[in-house]
Amino acid sequence: MIAWFKQLDDLLRGRKTAPDCLAEGRIELSLRRFAPLMIVLGATYGFFMGWYAILGREVPSYAQLVASTVKIPALFLLTLIVTFPSLYVFNALVGCRLSFIAMLRLLVGAIVVNVAVAGSLGPILGFFTLSTRSYPFMIVLNVALLAVSGLVGLTFLLHTLRRLAYTPPRPAPGAAPDAANSGADAHESASPPVVPGPLDPVWAEAPAQALGQARGIFQIWVIIYGLVGAQMGWLLRPFIGSPSMAFEWFRERQGNFFQAIFHAVQQLFDAA
Amino acid sequence: MRAALMHTDEFLRGTGSFRPGAEAVRPAWWLPVMILVLAPIYGAWMGSFHFDSPERLLQVAYSAVKLPLLLFSTSLLCLPGFFVLNTILGLRDDFREAMQAVLAGQAALSVALASLSLLTRFWYYSCTSYRSALLFNAAMFTVATIAGQYVMLRYYRALIRRRRYHRITLYAWMALYAFVGIQMGWILRPFVGDPRMAVTFFRAEAFSNAYVVVARLIFG
Repeated sequence: MIAWFKQLDDLLRGRKTAPDCLAEGRIELSLRRFAPLMIVLGATYGFFMGWYAILGREVPSYAQLVASTVKIPALFLLTLIVTFPSLYVFNALVGCRLSFIAMLRLLVGAIVVNVAVAGSLGPILGFFTLSTRSYPFMIVLNVALLAVSGLVGLTFLLHTLRRLAYTPPRPAPGAAPDAANSGADAHESASPPVVPGPLDPVWAEAPAQALGQARGIFQIWVIIYGLVGAQMGWLLRPFIGSPSMAFEWFRERQGNFFQAIFHAVQQLFDAA
Repeated sequence: MRAALMHTDEFLRGTGSFRPGAEAVRPAWWLPVMILVLAPIYGAWMGSFHFDSPERLLQVAYSAVKLPLLLFSTSLLCLPGFFVLNTILGLRDDFREAMQAVLAGQAALSVALASLSLLTRFWYYSCTSYRSALLFNAAMFTVATIAGQYVMLRYYRALIRRRRYHRITLYAWMALYAFVGIQMGWILRPFVGDPRMAVTFFRAEAFSNAYVVVARLIFG
C-alpha cells in the first residue's frame, strides 16, 4: 500500500518524468501500478460525488453511490480507450519516437495526475454535498472541480511532451539543472540542485525537434480527448443523480454535455 | 504570559523567530495555539450581542467555540487539494514553509480579531439593531482578513522569490479557502445570534448552500 503511494508521490513530484529518465524516450511508469491507481483515485472522487444521492434526496439511493464510484474511473478509462488508438496511429505515421507502450504510459500518468488532483478536492466536494440541496449547484461544482483537475492533468501531459521533445546536452557537473531557478537567491545556491517539478519549464526555449509534428498531433488530440471525455460523461450519466428521478444506471440518450451545463448554470441563477 | 505576549509582538512585527525566511526555530505548535487562544476571544465578544439573559451566555460559549472551528475545519478541507497542487508544481520541499505562511495568516487574522473585539462590544452597546451588529461584524472580519493576508504575503514573498510557482499555490489557497470558508461560515451560523430566536449551536433549519441563497436573493 505504502509502495503504491510512494509511486504516486514520485509521479506527482516529477521524479517519474525527470529529464534524465525521459532522455532516451523512456517513461518509467509501470502500468501494473498506475492503472489500478487511476481506478482507485477516480473511484475516490466518484465516492464523494455519490454522496449527493444519499444526502440530497428523501430516500437515499445507495445504488447511485455505487454507480458514481464505478462510473468516474470508467469515464477516464473508456475515454482513453476511444481516443488512444488514433493518437498512436497518427503519431507513428509522422515518425514519433515514442513507442506504443511509452505513449500509453505517458497518458495513464497524465490521467493519474488528473484523478489525484480531483481526489484531493474530494473532501471539499463532500463538504458541499453535505450542506447543499440544490442539484444545479452540485452539477456546476462538479464540472468546475473536474475541469480544474483536467487542466492540471493536460498541462502535465504537454509539459512532459516538451521534455521528451528535447534532449539537452549533458549539463556541466555542478550546474543547476533548473534554468528557471538559476538566478535564485543564496539559499537556493547553497542547497543541492532542485529536482524540477513536473510542470517546471525545463528548456522552455528548446525548439520542438525530436517529436516534431507529433507535438502538433498531441495538441489536437488534447482537444479531441476533452470533447470525447465530456460527451462520454454525458453518455454515462447520471453521475450525481437528479433527486427528482428514480435511480437508473444509464439515462436515455438525448442532448449533449454542453447544452446540459448551460442549462444547469441557467437553472442555478433562476428563481427558486 | 509575558513571554506569550512578547512572542505575539514578534509575530506581528515579523521579527525574531517569526522573521519570514528564517529557519523555524520555535515549536511548530505556536501558530495553531495562537489561533486556538485568540480566535475564541473575538468569538465570545461576538456572541455577546443582546446579552440580557443567562441563556445568552450559551451563545457566547457557542461563538467562542465556533470561530476557531470555522478556521480549522476550512483549512482541513482545503489541505489535501493544496498539498497535491504544491506537489505537482514541484514545491513539496517548501511545503512546510507554505503551511507556516498559511497558518501565520490565520494567526494574524485571530490576533487582529481579538484586538477588535472590544470595538465590537462597544458597537453592541451603542447600536442595538441586529442588522447593524451583523454589518459591523462583517466589517471587522474584512479588516482582520486584510491583516491576515498581509502577514501571509509577508511569508509568501520569500517563497515566491525562490520559486515563482508559489504565486499560483497562494492564489489557489486564497480561492479555495474563501470558497469553502463562506459556506462553512454559513452552516456554522448563528455567530451573533438573532435575539428573537432561541440560542442554538446550529440553526434548526436544514443545512443550505450560501451561494444558492445569494444567487436566489439576487436573481430570484
